[in-house]
Amino acid sequence: MYWNNVETRPGMGYPRQWDSIGGGWKDGQLQPSPLPSMDDYGHAWEFDYEQRLYEGKKKPVMASPTPKSGVNWDEDVGGMNGDENYFFYLPRICNHCTYPACLEACPRKAIYKREEDGIVVLDQDRCQGYRYCIKACPYKKIYYNEVTGKSEKCIFCYPRLEKGEVNACAAQCPGRLRFVGLLDDPESPVHKLVLVHRAALPLFPEKGTQPNVFYVPPFNPPKRGNYDKSILEDSRLPLDYLIYLFGPEVRDVITRLEAELKMAQAGGRSELLQLLIGRDAKTRYRIKPELVQIKV
Amino acid sequence: MRINREAFLFAIVLVVTTIAGTQAGKTPAGQTLNPAPLSAPAEALLKDSAGWDQVPDHRISLNRTPPLYDTDEPASLEIPVLDVRLARAGGKLLVQMSWADPTHDSASLPEVPNTPPETRFRKLPTEADDRFFDAAAVMFPAKPGAMTPSLQMGDTDDPVQIYYWNAARGPMLMEAAGRGTTRRTGATFAVHGAYDKGRWTVALELPDLPASTPLAFAIWNGSQKDRDGRKYFSVWQVLK
Repeated sequence: MYWNNVETRPGMGYPRQWDSIGGGWKDGQLQPSPLPSMDDYGHAWEFDYEQRLYEGKKKPVMASPTPKSGVNWDEDVGGMNGDENYFFYLPRICNHCTYPACLEACPRKAIYKREEDGIVVLDQDRCQGYRYCIKACPYKKIYYNEVTGKSEKCIFCYPRLEKGEVNACAAQCPGRLRFVGLLDDPESPVHKLVLVHRAALPLFPEKGTQPNVFYVPPFNPPKRGNYDKSILEDSRLPLDYLIYLFGPEVRDVITRLEAELKMAQAGGRSELLQLLIGRDAKTRYRIKPELVQIKV
Repeated sequence: MRINREAFLFAIVLVVTTIAGTQAGKTPAGQTLNPAPLSAPAEALLKDSAGWDQVPDHRISLNRTPPLYDTDEPASLEIPVLDVRLARAGGKLLVQMSWADPTHDSASLPEVPNTPPETRFRKLPTEADDRFFDAAAVMFPAKPGAMTPSLQMGDTDDPVQIYYWNAARGPMLMEAAGRGTTRRTGATFAVHGAYDKGRWTVALELPDLPASTPLAFAIWNGSQKDRDGRKYFSVWQVLK
């Protein structure tokens, strides 16, 4: 059970088919959803090293029980667009939504949204493991731990943020692709990417929870032999698939990104591209505990 | 436009009558429960169902809670009848609950390590995540002499104690002062649950409650995702 996972798209996702099984809001009402099963998450498996290494078994090391699903099960499988293949990675954590369906669904009031910074957390003492939250979350980003009988979720590393340090997932990302800050802090990179340059969009905005994780859509190269054409004209990633993930606004975002790239290629300076390169921590994060007035 | 106020009022009255009618039709009156004095030690009686043979059986009708949430699947299984026997032995009140349940929803779960979660480097793998377990509970007022607190886990002035047993997680003593306030106290109690031929028999050891104490019972069927208020429950019964 991974609070933080990266899945290959197109693909089934983790848990399997989470994007189509339900949850979220519609017309102000929570939407039904089944609970994903362990088959959807994938069972833990071990390898028969002992038999191979010490007990004389000549066959290659095998996983047992035979895995049928798992985190990023369809790693790099991708899809085909005509005769060209494509895939990209989609990192996923809890979206710390503005209107969290999980919070509404919990009869124990175990889930709350921190007033000071909007982080959605789950009180382990109040949780009774009823799992209404898992059903309600359209992103299936709450997990049930059957051993403890409690549900768990990403805490957005709030103890690190309170000390002025960025989330572990952002700090350790070798691709330097996670930007962290307050949306309404004009100095934060998140504010600039989402509200100034309008280059980042929430995932599945129609689920109604107003996520606070935003994605700069995968940069979409043209197909082979189309280098002089616009990305939208003949893209390698089918535009329909990006619209499915990020909504129709993705078309405008791609157009803006393409214009910025053209400008940079012509020798101009693009503030947006400089920001996206994210050379140092100062560019990528703005963690200011004093801005969120933590009540001690 | 003139609103037909008479018809509107009539509609409201009609709805209220319907609700009251449903409640009255489904809710059986409470019984007087007669505990038998037994000489065998309480500990032995919990495990030995034969020791209860001479104890009179009270058949208690159960109700199904109405759907609590719009997103819930409807409950479809038949409402069971609860057989309750009570005995006083060794300064304790023993309650034996028995009911038919064709689906045995239990499991042997790994023990939770007794260390703070943040110090556990590796979590124990979870075998399943979408199953629920059978369970049973007895509720009574936390204040001696209280009459009948709200059936929805008591109320602010009349808190309740709940002796809850879960087929996989065992006994948990809980307290509550209204719906949504149920809290595990961390305390436990002696209990024995056995499943045989499609039937649960669960014996719980309660404190020696005085006569006239009201008791309410509840059972959960894991197969139909019962948990929380999604359950079968009785109205208050009175201890003789």
